[in-house]
Amino acid sequence: MAERSFTDEVKKLRAGQGEVFKGEGILAITKALLQSGVSYVGGYQGSPISHLMDVLNDAQDILGDLGVHFEANGSEATAAAMLSASINYPLRGAVTWKSTVGTNVASDALSNLASSGVTGGAMVIVGEDYGEGSSIMQERSYAFAMKAQMWLLDPRPNLPSIVDMVEKGFELSEASNTPIFYMMRIRGCHVTGEFVARDNVAPEFHSEAPVTPNREPEKIILPPFVYAQEREKIAERLPAAIRFVEDNALNEVFPGRYDSVGIITCGGSYNTVIRALQRQGLADVYGETDVPIYCLNVAYPLIPRELVKFCAGKEQVLVLEEGQPEYIEQGIQTVLRRQDVQTRVYGKDIMPMAGEYTGQVMLEGITRFIQAASRQNIPMKLSLDVVLSTETPVSEEDIGRLMGELPPRPAGLCTGCPERPLFSAIKQLQEEMGPFHISSDIGCHSFATAAPFNLGNTIMGYGLSLASSSGMRHALPHKAISIMGDGGFWHNGLTSGVTSAVFNEHDGLLIIIDNGYSAATGGQDIPSLVEPNLIATTLDANQPKRESWQDIEDACRGAGVKWIRTVSTYNIAAMKETLRAALTTNDAGLKVVVAEGECMLNRQRRVKPLIRQAVSEGRRVKRARFYIDPETCTGDHGCIRLSGCPSLTIRENPDPLRTDPVSYVDNSCVGCGVCGTNAHSAVLCPSFSRVEMIHNPTVWDRFLDTTRARMREWWRARDRKRMEQRQF
Amino acid sequence: MVAGARSEAHGATPVLMSREDATINMVIAALGGEGGGVLTNWLIAAAEQNDWWCQSTSLAGVAQRTGATIYYLEFMPRQASERPPVMSLFPAQGDIDIAVASEIAEAGRMISRGFISPDRSLLIASDHRVFGITEKSAAGDGSVDRELIIEMGERYARSFIHFDMSEIVQRQGTVISAALLGAIAGSGALPFAGHCFRKLLSSGGSAPANLAAFDESFRRAQPGGVGEYVPPEVKAFSLPVASNPLGERWLPRIADLPAALQEMAYHSVNRLIDYQDEPYAEEWFSRVSALIDRDLDRKSYSLAQEAGRHLALWMAFEDIPRVAQLKVRPDRESMIRSEVKAAAGQPVAVAEFFHPRIEEVAALLPVSWGSALLRSHTAKRWLSRLLGPRTLRTDRINMQVLLRCLAGFRRFRRSTFGYAHERKMIDRWYDAVLSADEHDVAMAIAALGRLVKGYGETRHRTTSRLMQILDYVEHAPDSDSSKIKALQLKAMEPESNFNTGHAVSSNPELA
Repeated sequence: MAERSFTDEVKKLRAGQGEVFKGEGILAITKALLQSGVSYVGGYQGSPISHLMDVLNDAQDILGDLGVHFEANGSEATAAAMLSASINYPLRGAVTWKSTVGTNVASDALSNLASSGVTGGAMVIVGEDYGEGSSIMQERSYAFAMKAQMWLLDPRPNLPSIVDMVEKGFELSEASNTPIFYMMRIRGCHVTGEFVARDNVAPEFHSEAPVTPNREPEKIILPPFVYAQEREKIAERLPAAIRFVEDNALNEVFPGRYDSVGIITCGGSYNTVIRALQRQGLADVYGETDVPIYCLNVAYPLIPRELVKFCAGKEQVLVLEEGQPEYIEQGIQTVLRRQDVQTRVYGKDIMPMAGEYTGQVMLEGITRFIQAASRQNIPMKLSLDVVLSTETPVSEEDIGRLMGELPPRPAGLCTGCPERPLFSAIKQLQEEMGPFHISSDIGCHSFATAAPFNLGNTIMGYGLSLASSSGMRHALPHKAISIMGDGGFWHNGLTSGVTSAVFNEHDGLLIIIDNGYSAATGGQDIPSLVEPNLIATTLDANQPKRESWQDIEDACRGAGVKWIRTVSTYNIAAMKETLRAALTTNDAGLKVVVAEGECMLNRQRRVKPLIRQAVSEGRRVKRARFYIDPETCTGDHGCIRLSGCPSLTIRENPDPLRTDPVSYVDNSCVGCGVCGTNAHSAVLCPSFSRVEMIHNPTVWDRFLDTTRARMREWWRARDRKRMEQRQF
Repeated sequence: MVAGARSEAHGATPVLMSREDATINMVIAALGGEGGGVLTNWLIAAAEQNDWWCQSTSLAGVAQRTGATIYYLEFMPRQASERPPVMSLFPAQGDIDIAVASEIAEAGRMISRGFISPDRSLLIASDHRVFGITEKSAAGDGSVDRELIIEMGERYARSFIHFDMSEIVQRQGTVISAALLGAIAGSGALPFAGHCFRKLLSSGGSAPANLAAFDESFRRAQPGGVGEYVPPEVKAFSLPVASNPLGERWLPRIADLPAALQEMAYHSVNRLIDYQDEPYAEEWFSRVSALIDRDLDRKSYSLAQEAGRHLALWMAFEDIPRVAQLKVRPDRESMIRSEVKAAAGQPVAVAEFFHPRIEEVAALLPVSWGSALLRSHTAKRWLSRLLGPRTLRTDRINMQVLLRCLAGFRRFRRSTFGYAHERKMIDRWYDAVLSADEHDVAMAIAALGRLVKGYGETRHRTTSRLMQILDYVEHAPDSDSSKIKALQLKAMEPESNFNTGHAVSSNPELA
């Protein structure tokens, strides 16, 4: 059950010919896949394409009706390998993942796929996680497209273009026997808009209409075929692709009256270019431009004839491509120099090498370019000085004052997160045992590397924490500590981590955080998802375990782990003791602690309606949340340093004699209990209490409550009278 | 300009009528989980109802809460030709018509990023605070200056609408997105009628709450609407009239003190009588009188103010009887009930987390017994079985009896081991304040009282650091106020090792 449900939105996927489809880019891509007659789809979740996986998951009815096969793959490598279905058969298939990280994981299968070549259209939809809002290191997928020779589509970010390019992409793939990258930028994935739908197309082959098994040895990636495959890439597939792109005008030329200059942009940046030109009075809001634009919806390969035609007669062109190295600019230079076209090519000499081409960057760059292109006198609304000054209207002094008052907002663990108590325990243990070196991993638990926990030294990749501690473990004062999520464990960690560690007699500690979902990517199900209530939580419920449950502990034992413990994360004292035992035991071999606790976001989504229903049906329900006594809190905030929970915050001190703010629990508290457990295990202070409210109390509840309340009221009346005399 | 108001830099109406040649650009800054996506969808739907083009995009990141998120929308009326405009996916500096922030520091962030142009941008923000982790985890007060950000907004936005939307939605029982939509609609910045927006909110279970928040916010954001907003008055303190013999004894004496000190003295004396008895308050009073004589600041008596305040707080230190006393306060139960929003008559159970240690028990004993207990391993072993983490239901009668008994121990407080220990430290600090040669140094030592915080180990750490600083002041001939202040800052970093010599030598400004 993913964080966001698309159950309603996926109904739009049934839209037929002529209907106007409105929605997000991601949904449009899914519709385009169905209109293209895909036979199979798969992928691995990760921003910015997590929702594509969620949409596919929620659209299984529609996919099933059409005969489309869907898999939520175990990793990007699994997804890439799926594409081998298109090698021998005219099956169209698409997989998706976050790039470049996913592409790196998938690279083995992708290279082989690209070498073999495809018969049916094969498409990898990559969410290019680059620029603001990205969560990974900054690289380009473009390099992979070049080295493996896969075509890279980068369509203009409007829904009609996005949809058309999916359909055309499959045709291109088939026409050139080459798999394709279809690149979506972060903002493009989430862009909303509309397009006119076409009917969905059922795939030719499916479970009711199977293919005839067909062997083509020359497509296997073994010598001598691999040499022939490389020659084929150059001699046949590339020319075929170039022909197809030209014939179908996949790249677009927008003419303009200042024809001595031109702009060559990737499709994904087209809208930003138009906006910059518009602000300079050189284009209108509909994209009518005075400066000619050559828009590369196919970013790789370059089409030499189109390039020469666009540049011929132009004195200067500006190449706009985000990120580095500047592959496209280099490619364009090569094409033009070989043809002896003398157009001056501007690019990274006036544009920033690193980072996104935002509105301001684009405006600055284009202004510089137009200014440099001086032969034709092109009027601009804004001078370069004005453009530079719009970057910030705030004076330097004010910026200085302001920056000091803007609190950083790193992503953190959610309210009630089961990972919080684990890190509280580790932090408390660290205080006793001295500083730790911790190999961290990808997942929500990555946030423990930030305030207030500040735990974790390196992150090497998804499921790679244990592997990354192996070069370090002989040189550490304590047993090596690695932390991995359940998502990372199934993705990669079991094989490259646990199996290898056992084989190499790794003596360290691996903490596997089992929260039941791939939580950081939006709460998708993973193999070890039990029907959640079996996972230790603070609230009780009872439902049977899922039939096809794959157990982390069993998997580790199967890989040869002898020392393994499962502990509820919410039990901080037990967790501390277990971790201490793992770090001090003389038992040889890998120590695994499975830290269990259901993802609280998922849990709340699941449990809240149940509680609401129970209350309205008149059943007795207890609900708890925490409370801090403002009178006993001294404002040290030690509790916050051990927690960082969003619901544990501060507010003005009600005590007229104190100035520092007191800690405060707001009403978003879900009563997970970590505050109280921390107060106990770290011996914090007597200010925390758990307040439990009973809905629909029984007669006995009421009797007890009334009796106690009367007694307390008697005392209170007496106290009030006394206090009147003791206060003035 | 009054805080919480609407400012009009140019006195122009903020309504941006549709311009055929350009889009209306709006950026929304929210925090994860605040419903920025929902707000965006409402805006898209409003545009659709009015037959406008609307393109939105977002940087929602992944599933994590608490991080800052950005939404960006562009609006434009549809033309008869149905030709779609080319809209940008990036908010750009100098190109924003409407900027919306769900929290005031996020408004500040937009100003710092250059999204607020004085000639163009309308800034709409809820001016409440959602604290960031660095603000929350500081051992003292790490929160940022809200007023500064508001003042910047007033100066840099073409027009700035701000009020506390968080208060509205909490009162109405809904989320901030409804109030933000109300403010956007009420500002008139989008040329859509108010009822179009209302229609969007009028379905679903939370419709009444959403509409109520929307309407209130709509009114407040309308031109002139914020005139209804009255900033909370800062009440000047005045001493009450005596209503009992106690008041008759004390109020005239407090009234004789310099005016600047009366409020502090009133609270301090009351606190110490409540904590112990009148003679105890008397002690405080005579010490403060000494401070007043010594105070060179004859206008605001800053030394007596600061030292007197910390002295009262420290003298009313939190031991077991004090905590027990506070836990059975008459008004505590109603405070908890209203805080957790318990319905009238709904049973509420309160379980408190206590962790008494041997040290706290020893503190309750007579001086010689207390020190003997801490020396005796056998007694400690035996006692530790009874102590440790306890979760006690203080709504129950038995626990009420126990707490009241413990609170009653305060009668014997002045003969206990714990009191003697605290008293020694208080005296030492007080003497240091009084004997300092310069006003600045006395002030800096007085301010060290802020270090006295926490319970158990934390309290031990804070007071022993305070004593270390006093050691330093006594022994270093070149100690001045800036050094003491720097040492205090260093001592307030809870997770660092603290060493006065090292702290001074490693600080380039002091070395």
